[in-house]
Amino acid sequence: MTSAIRTRNLERRFGRTKALDGIDLDVPEGAVYAVVGANGAGKTTLIKVLMNIIHPSSGMAETLGMDVLKLSGKAFQQIGYVSENQEMPEWMTTRQMLAYYRNFYPRWDRGLEEHLLRQFDLPLDRKLKHLSRGMRMKASFVSSHAYSPSLIVLDEPFSGLDPLVRDELIEVLIERAPESTIFLSSHDLAEIESVSSHVGYLENGRLLFSEEMAVLIDRFREVTVTVNGPASTPDRLPESWLQVEAADSVVRFVHSRFSGGTPSEVAEYFPSVRDIRFDPMSLRAIFLAMAKSSRVSSKSAPIVDVAKEVEA
Amino acid sequence: MRQILAIFTKDARRFWPEILVSLGLLVALVQVYPMQWAEVQWTQPGTINRGIGWFGISGSPSGVFAACLVALVPISWWILIARLIHCEKLVGHTQFWITRPYEWPKLLAAKILFLAVFLYAPFFAAQCLLLHSGGFHPFSHLPGLLLNLVYLTAFVVLPLAALSALTTGFGRLTLLILGVILFIVLAVIVSDYLPSSTFGSVPDIVSGNLALAILFGGFAAIVLIQYARHRMRLAWFLLAAVAVGLWAIAIFDPDQALMARHYPPAPGPVQFVYASGGVTNETNSKDSLAVSLPMHESGVADGKAVIPVALKVNLEGPGGASWQSSWQGISSQRYLAGASDTNMAFVMPRAVYDRFKPVPVTLRITFAVVQARRDSVRVVPLPAGDFNVAGVGVCKAQSWMGDINDFSGIACRSAMNQPRLTYITAQWTTGRCGDAASESSSQMLGTAWVGELDPALAEFGITPVWDTPVTLSNPWVPYRQGQPLRGRNLCPGSPVIFTQFRETVRTQTDLVIRDFRLPDLSLGDRLMLLAR
Repeated sequence: MTSAIRTRNLERRFGRTKALDGIDLDVPEGAVYAVVGANGAGKTTLIKVLMNIIHPSSGMAETLGMDVLKLSGKAFQQIGYVSENQEMPEWMTTRQMLAYYRNFYPRWDRGLEEHLLRQFDLPLDRKLKHLSRGMRMKASFVSSHAYSPSLIVLDEPFSGLDPLVRDELIEVLIERAPESTIFLSSHDLAEIESVSSHVGYLENGRLLFSEEMAVLIDRFREVTVTVNGPASTPDRLPESWLQVEAADSVVRFVHSRFSGGTPSEVAEYFPSVRDIRFDPMSLRAIFLAMAKSSRVSSKSAPIVDVAKEVEA
Repeated sequence: MRQILAIFTKDARRFWPEILVSLGLLVALVQVYPMQWAEVQWTQPGTINRGIGWFGISGSPSGVFAACLVALVPISWWILIARLIHCEKLVGHTQFWITRPYEWPKLLAAKILFLAVFLYAPFFAAQCLLLHSGGFHPFSHLPGLLLNLVYLTAFVVLPLAALSALTTGFGRLTLLILGVILFIVLAVIVSDYLPSSTFGSVPDIVSGNLALAILFGGFAAIVLIQYARHRMRLAWFLLAAVAVGLWAIAIFDPDQALMARHYPPAPGPVQFVYASGGVTNETNSKDSLAVSLPMHESGVADGKAVIPVALKVNLEGPGGASWQSSWQGISSQRYLAGASDTNMAFVMPRAVYDRFKPVPVTLRITFAVVQARRDSVRVVPLPAGDFNVAGVGVCKAQSWMGDINDFSGIACRSAMNQPRLTYITAQWTTGRCGDAASESSSQMLGTAWVGELDPALAEFGITPVWDTPVTLSNPWVPYRQGQPLRGRNLCPGSPVIFTQFRETVRTQTDLVIRDFRLPDLSLGDRLMLLAR
C-alpha cells in the first residue's frame, strides 16, 4: 500500500528547541490517521511541515508522493486543509468565498458543495467575519471538501466547538473517508476514536507510536488482579505494565502488550491470584496512561526508553 | 488566466472604496491643477511667488489645493498598494491562501494587473489630460510619459510593494516606512561627519542611474523572493543591502572618480582671473567653512555659453604641506561672450583653513566646465495670452491686477521636465506702454536663464507640467529717496528673445594663484564665534 504521507527522520527546530525530533511516519492511502498528543507536542508543527507552510530543519517529508518543499500551487488542488488557526477571507460571504475558490479547483463539484451546504445549513449571504466559530469551521469544511481532495488535513478541527457542530463535522468526515486520506490532529480523543483508522502519538516532538486503531485498542487492557490476602507489587515488573497500583487485595495496572498469553504471564507474578479481569480501554484511557507513565519515566529515565518499549 | 482574473476581480470588489478615493483624487487633480495657470502668480515684478515651489505650484488658493492633491495622490497609492499586497499577505503561517492552489506567478500577475488598471492607467490618463490642459500634445511626449511610469515604479510602486511584502498589515508597514525615513535622516547626519562625504555635489554621471538600478533591482528582487519563496530573512537582507547601497552611493559618490574622464583637461573655453580679496563664511556644518573668491571671467566665444559645473581645490603651503578637496558642485553660474565679474565658492574643513590661514599658499582651482553653442533663437513679440516657444513650452505674460496694457513679467511651463538651457532677454520700460517715445526713452534689458543642459526625457512628477520660473533681472526702478518703489513693465509687442543652447564640449580648466592668502572669516561669523 502506498503512503499518502511519509516522513523519515524529520526534524524541525525553533532555535534550540526541537519541535519535531526524528519523526518516521507512514500514513497509508485511504486511512483516517489521527495524530494525538498534549499541547506543545508538535502536532501543528508536523502538519505545517507537511503542508509546506514551514520548512523542515532536516530529514525527509513527502505529501502525496511529493517532496513537501515542492508542495505549492496546483498540488493543493488535491489537498483540503482546515485548521482552527487558519485565517479566512472574512470580508466575503460564504457564497462569495465558495464562488471564488471554485476558480482554483478544476474538480470542484457543485453538487457536493450544495449537498454539504444543505447538510451544514450554512447562511450563504452572511459575511464570514459575522459567523460563529462553528459556522466558520463548517464553511471551511465545505470549501476544503467540495473538490473531493485526495488528502484532507485537519488541524484541531473540533477545538472549541459545541457537541452538535462536532457531530455534524464528524458525520461529514465519515462520509468523505472512503474517497480521501484524512490526516487530523486533535486532543479530542473521543471523537477521534470514532472516526480514525490509524493513530499516532506525539510527545515532545517524538512519535511514540503509530499504528492502526484496532491494533492499539487490542494491545491495551486495564488489568485488575484480585489476590488472596493483602496485595503487594513484585520487585521486578515487565516494562509493558504501566501505572501499577496496589490497594487491599487488588492490583491494577495497564497492560500495553495484551495477547492470548497475558493471563498466564500475570498469574506468574501473582501466585495467590483469586481473579483476573481484562477490560478494554478507550483511546482516551490509553492516551492518559501513556502520558502519565511517560511523565513518570521522564523523571527517572529518558523518554527514549518509553519509545523503545512501545515500539518493541 | 482564470486564476488571475479571479484574484483581480476579488481585489477590485474588495478595494472599491480605496480605488474610488484614488481615482477621485486624480480627477480632482486634473481639474484643479490647471486652474493656477490662468491665475496671476506674481507678488512683485520679476519674481514668481514660489511659496510651494517644490511642486511647481503657485501660492494661490487653487495652487494650495493642487499642492494638497499632489501630496494626497501618492498617499492614496500607498494605502491601495498596501491593502492589495496585504490581502494575500506574504508573511505568516495562517493566511487563508497559502494552502490553496495559488500559483505565485499568477498571484503576482493579478496584483500587477490590478495596479495597471487602477493605478498606472489612471495616472497615465491624468498625465495626458494635464499635458493637454497645459497646451501640450500628449503623444508628442509619449517617451517621457512612459519614462515617468518607470520612475513611478522605481520610486513609489516597487518600494511600497516590497515593504508591504515584508509586513503583515498597514500598521507595521507604516512603522517600517517611518524606520526607512529615520534611516535616511541618520544617513544624512552621519554623512556630515564623514570626510569623504560629497552629498549630491557634483553633476550626475553614473550615480543617478546606479541608484535607480539599485532601487529597481533591489525592490523587485524583494517582491519576487517573497512571492516565489517567502524567504523573509533573505528579503530583509536585500532591503538592508538596498539601504546600504544607496547610502554608499551618497557617501562615496562614484561620480567623483569619473569627473576627470568626463571632463578631460583641454584649453579652457573661459579664463578666470582672481580679483583679490574674498570672504570666508561658516556653513551649516561646524567643521567646515565656505571660502568665496571674487573672479573675473572672460574669453567666452561669440555664440557660445560656458557653464562651470564643479570645482576642485588644491592648496600647497610651505614645506610641502598640501590639501586637496573632492569635486564640489557649482550652481547658477553661466557665462556668455564678453567679460564679467563673478564669485566662486568652495568648502573646506575648518582644520585645514586654520592650518593654511596664516601662511601664503599656492591655490589651484580646477574647474569642470561645459561649453554650449547657440542652437536656436526665437524672437516673440510679447502677446497678452499664452504663446508657444519651441523647446521651452507655453509662456504667458503676467500682469499687475490683470492690466493688459503692461506686464510685470513672464511665466512659462514645460512638459515632462525643465526645458533645455535657454537665455531669455526682454526690454523693461519705466514709461507708459503704448507711448512709443516714453517706452523707448526708459528701456532696460532684463535677462534670465531657465532650464537645464541636456535634460532627461522626463523628471519624475505626479504632474507632467513643470512651471519654469523666468526671473528677469532689473525688475525694479532704482530707489530714490522720497519716491515710491516702482517696478518696471514689459510692454505688449516688445520683443522677448529666447536663445537655446546645446551642450558641445566638456572640459577641465585650471586657475593657479600663487602667494594666496585665505580670506578672513566674515565679521558676522567672527562675532558669532566670540559670542560662543
